[in-house]
Amino acid sequence: MKKVFGLALGILTAIGGFLDIGDLVTNAVVGSRFGLSLGWAVVVGVIGICIFAQMSGRVAAVSGRATFELIRERLGPRVAILNLGASFLINLMTLTAEVGGVALAVQLITSVSYLLWVPLAAVAVWLVIWRVKFTIMENVAGLVGLCLIGFLVAFFLLNPDWGELGRQAVQRVSTGTEKVSTYWFYAVALFGAAMTPYEVFFFSSGAVEEGWTVKDLAQSRANVIVGFPLGGVLSLAIAGCAAVVLLPQLIAVTALSQVMLPVAQAGGKILLGLIILGVVAATFGAALETTLSAGYTIAQFFGWSWGKFRPPARAARFHLLMIICLIVAIATLLTGVDPITVTEISVVFSAVALPLTYLPILIVANDPEYLGEHVNGRLLNGVALFYMVIILVASIAAIPLLIITGAGQ
Amino acid sequence: MTNAPTDHGSRWLDAQLHLLDRQVLDAAGVPVAVVDDLELSDVLTGEDLPVGTPPPVITALLSGPVLGTRIFGGRPPQSRLHRTPWALVSEVGVVISLAIRGETTDLTWTERWVRDHIIGRLPGGRHDPERKKRGDSATSKRGDS
Repeated sequence: MKKVFGLALGILTAIGGFLDIGDLVTNAVVGSRFGLSLGWAVVVGVIGICIFAQMSGRVAAVSGRATFELIRERLGPRVAILNLGASFLINLMTLTAEVGGVALAVQLITSVSYLLWVPLAAVAVWLVIWRVKFTIMENVAGLVGLCLIGFLVAFFLLNPDWGELGRQAVQRVSTGTEKVSTYWFYAVALFGAAMTPYEVFFFSSGAVEEGWTVKDLAQSRANVIVGFPLGGVLSLAIAGCAAVVLLPQLIAVTALSQVMLPVAQAGGKILLGLIILGVVAATFGAALETTLSAGYTIAQFFGWSWGKFRPPARAARFHLLMIICLIVAIATLLTGVDPITVTEISVVFSAVALPLTYLPILIVANDPEYLGEHVNGRLLNGVALFYMVIILVASIAAIPLLIITGAGQ
Repeated sequence: MTNAPTDHGSRWLDAQLHLLDRQVLDAAGVPVAVVDDLELSDVLTGEDLPVGTPPPVITALLSGPVLGTRIFGGRPPQSRLHRTPWALVSEVGVVISLAIRGETTDLTWTERWVRDHIIGRLPGGRHDPERKKRGDSATSKRGDS
């Protein structure tokens, strides 16, 4: 019974924790401009993150080694420090976007400017990291994040024209006024939003935090393989809601409030309230994960003592670093930069940096010295290599597409 | 730094593959550093070695600013090296374990400074988030006591 409960809790947490500000914004923007014609990119991204998280979780559970220790061990200090620089900066950008997302969501409830909520949100993130037990932190954010199932409810309440949505989903190229390059730019953005590197830093370091062993492998695999695709369904529901309500009216999403418009139309105040609560939980949870990831990457590269399972005084540099990152995020947001713009840029750069973390994990997942009998099977390796190609293509295409399309304008 | 395997008990170790850039844990399992470089006993250069000269041996693990020299090149001054004598290494596996506590070495002076001047002074900085439920055995298993 306890086992079943643990499994259910893990899966629910994975669903609720899957979405962050990047998924919310990118899916709504794409839905409002391209309908469901980019739904395939979400599916490709979700399968990718399942493979990636499964491999890094297994490496962490069996060898007790987190991602960035292995990156340095396998790539040497020169490549690893470039990798660290890129990963850390992108993670910091994602952290900034998530804190901004929390503040924007609270603004929707209170009608008080998000700028006031930014420092409060960041301090709340710090207090949770400082004080709260790791498993409680993860489970509460994940479970409250389940309120986002409201997007799926809203989608069905909107009574969509399934034939039209089906036509959109099988269309190969964009329609109407949108250019082909913009279509592919958003394909890369959706891919980056689903496969954000911080998720993997967090997932593998979290496995060490929770003291996973080989015994936990089955549970971790179930969490990933069931939880993430269900989270992906919520992504599609967000795009679907925007496709049904906003696309016909030619409203292109540029603000978080517009992401909620279809929900308000479909389900009224109660559903809207539920969704906003879900958005606060999802972005807050992701803010915790990105803040911890900032600490994990640097601490693991330099071999510092790290982890929330230690008292802060026993991982002092790790905690100081996270405090500095949160201060940088507050300062960035208080310049008045639009958190939605930060989000859109951060998902694209996530796609750029992905091969840097994916390749070392793929190599170590095949190394019997670390994994013994738990190395990748032949089928998984085939799929994982195929994804290496996709990830490389997306990574190389991302910046040219960003420039050609003027960030999707 | 060498690529030549080093005899360690009955195992062959490749310095590049098994030692460099490995995580170093202290006797209690707490991370203290990464092997940033290795110090070898003197090797005569520029002249032919007489037959039967013993091969150089690893005398210490180096960490700290020496990392910069592996990234950018150059040689660090002797005074900036954080040395951990090879004799203190108790085990070489997927991590390198030391036979001493990290607290007692120079390696962790920045960690101690940040703890004593900043993190340890903030309210709750010495609070153990896992203490109530996990119990002592589980905590010590993962390295803190």
